[in-house]
Amino acid sequence: MTTATPSPTSATPALLRPVFPRRPSRNRVVISLARHLSLLLVLVVVLYPLLWMAGASVRPSNEAFGTLGLWPSNFTLENYATGWSYGSLNFSRYFVNSLVISVLCIIGNVVSCSLAAYAFARLEFPFKRVMFALMLGTLLLPYHVTLVPQYVLFNNLAWINTILPLTVPKFLATDAFFIFLMVQFIRTLPRELDDAARLDGCGHVGIFRRVILPLSLPALGTTALFTFIRTWDDFLGPLLYLNDPAKWTVTQGLNGFLDATGESAFGPLFAMATLSLAPIVGFFLVAQKLLIEGIATSGLK
Amino acid sequence: MMSPHTRPRRRALGLVAGAATFTLVLTACSGGTRVGETTQESAAPEASGAEAGLGDVEGTLRIAYWGSGPRVDLTNGVSDLFVAENPGVTVEPESADFAAYFERLNVQGSSGNLPCVPQMQGRQLASYATQGALMDLDPLIESGAITVPDIPEEVIDTGRGPDGGLYFIPYGAAYDAVEINATLAEQAGVGLPEEGYTWEDFGEYITEAQGSLPEGIAAANLGGGLPNYFIAWTQARGEEMFEDDQIAFSEETLAEFWTFWEDLRNAGATSTAQQRAEEPPQTEQRYVAQGKVMLDSVPGNALTPGQATLSGLAPGQELTTVAMPSGEGGSGNVLFTSGWAISANCDNVPTAAAFIDFWANNDEAAALFASNNGGVTNTRHLQQQLDNPELPALKKHELELYQQVIEAKPPTVSYPAGYQANFETAFNRAYETVSLGGTSPEDAAAAFIAEVNAAFGAQ
Repeated sequence: MTTATPSPTSATPALLRPVFPRRPSRNRVVISLARHLSLLLVLVVVLYPLLWMAGASVRPSNEAFGTLGLWPSNFTLENYATGWSYGSLNFSRYFVNSLVISVLCIIGNVVSCSLAAYAFARLEFPFKRVMFALMLGTLLLPYHVTLVPQYVLFNNLAWINTILPLTVPKFLATDAFFIFLMVQFIRTLPRELDDAARLDGCGHVGIFRRVILPLSLPALGTTALFTFIRTWDDFLGPLLYLNDPAKWTVTQGLNGFLDATGESAFGPLFAMATLSLAPIVGFFLVAQKLLIEGIATSGLK
Repeated sequence: MMSPHTRPRRRALGLVAGAATFTLVLTACSGGTRVGETTQESAAPEASGAEAGLGDVEGTLRIAYWGSGPRVDLTNGVSDLFVAENPGVTVEPESADFAAYFERLNVQGSSGNLPCVPQMQGRQLASYATQGALMDLDPLIESGAITVPDIPEEVIDTGRGPDGGLYFIPYGAAYDAVEINATLAEQAGVGLPEEGYTWEDFGEYITEAQGSLPEGIAAANLGGGLPNYFIAWTQARGEEMFEDDQIAFSEETLAEFWTFWEDLRNAGATSTAQQRAEEPPQTEQRYVAQGKVMLDSVPGNALTPGQATLSGLAPGQELTTVAMPSGEGGSGNVLFTSGWAISANCDNVPTAAAFIDFWANNDEAAALFASNNGGVTNTRHLQQQLDNPELPALKKHELELYQQVIEAKPPTVSYPAGYQANFETAFNRAYETVSLGGTSPEDAAAAFIAEVNAAFGAQ
């Protein structure tokens, strides 16, 4: 086809050349440039609030809301210094607390949801379909419905003011979304591999450990990432169950800067909020390859 | 061939057993708290005759309050003073921002796990008091467990629930004020409204100022959706807000209030309805603190943080506060008090009572807290703070205005259960149907009153 479309420059003098060629360019570089440019434009729009927050975090606190621009005229790192241990707040501790809870939740979700998913995808047992439907049904329950009963339950277990209400449920495969995600993924794995493993003497545990788990890495990575983001961002859970300031998480610490009935400290708030995003971005960069594979192969939308 | 199910089943059993053990171990060594387990039994012995709330001041006391940063330090500082005076007591504080605080308190309340001493405000009180979640404190005052000689009667009364029982002892009283950018008002040649000004004067003041303000700055922030403006409007007319858990003001009163604001808005003397709808609630983000409007109604203690923001954005401009407009019916200024309650599931009532008594009477504690959550209700403490030469000028102004409000014998508004949920949000929404949707104030007022009364009736 290259012969049929001479490049416009060779056929017309430069002055007469239309600004937009009538036919879309076939030049790969041009196409790719245009695509990247439009993606970059979208990215700027999407990132603007984040960049604004980062910009506001290096402005003096009382100028935080003064401008829509990104670059601070009075650059200062004071917000970071004051925010880290503002008043009775102690972000070293909150970051550790959040991290401990997040790691436990990730372990819990990855282990328990993959086991449950294996059962639904590969085992035959009575009422399997009904139970699968029930499991999916829990996705439709708004959390408001279970909030109070859960609190009563954990209170009766004497778990208030511990991280147990936030972590133990994850070890019991309560996140239906991730079970579903992994069921879908495991179903795409060829059963022949299971059969081959069985011939080699593997039971279900062996098949799960030696065949399914290694092949499900993308789904596990997706589960880990989403669990991390959800747990790291969770505010209501810690608010209800962690009352002792020494056990607060980062989100509670951030809330500690705000007070609708008194003084709020927005500069330090933005500084700490910017910092609190770092682990999420870091985790995403590390798990990105797995995540994209997980989305591509499980049909997750 | 071996059945494929045998081995996994055995392992599965092992797994279940393992999980069960794990849970048991966790429960055993969790060291968590379980409060409220003795709700029914422990609630019984309190409030019995002359000894109500008297006893050994010792053990652990769970308290909860809203606030952030500086207020957390100050509140915990007062707790430390209390502990120093009462060795053997441990205070466990729980704090969160105002909205988050009540979100958590709701869940705790419905689970019978309220902190022993939760902080309360009049607007939320009824929701808890009518559910039997709080203790009536009158017997504790009679027995002398809590003494309040220096808190005016009308201020104490703001802690009463719909049934007349006293459910919290106010330690701080906030009032709403009209915050005015004095620099802009000076430039516009209108100065400040005179003491005792009426709503009519207020409207004229705004209109007059708008004539000479710089382009792009509105004289007033649109206030038709602000319940606290409306409370001042009804009080100035001598009308009641609520009676028997229903709305007591008339449709005309509300329609005239909205017409007042609509006239100003249509004359271009206020911010637009769109601007008002997107204004964030935090003090520092309000338009008046940003220098975008000349005046707005804010809580009295918003002056200091508002000025700090304005100084950063428009150096040299000064904010001040004046009382709300009044009228023939009386002062338009009501108090929004915050105070300490005792929950019905509290199992350490003597210590809780001593803690509240400490807040109400201890000079050192009051000096430390320095009216951080509304003006201190103890009049002796108020005078001490006003006499303190180190009191910052803006705080002094805030407290002087508070004293002026108190001297005018502010009316008490008793809020029905569900006020915050049913009235406050619906009020702003109803006004938006007028300002944004074009409904007439009369229709909107009728619809609003019917809707809110139905919601109150369903409580």
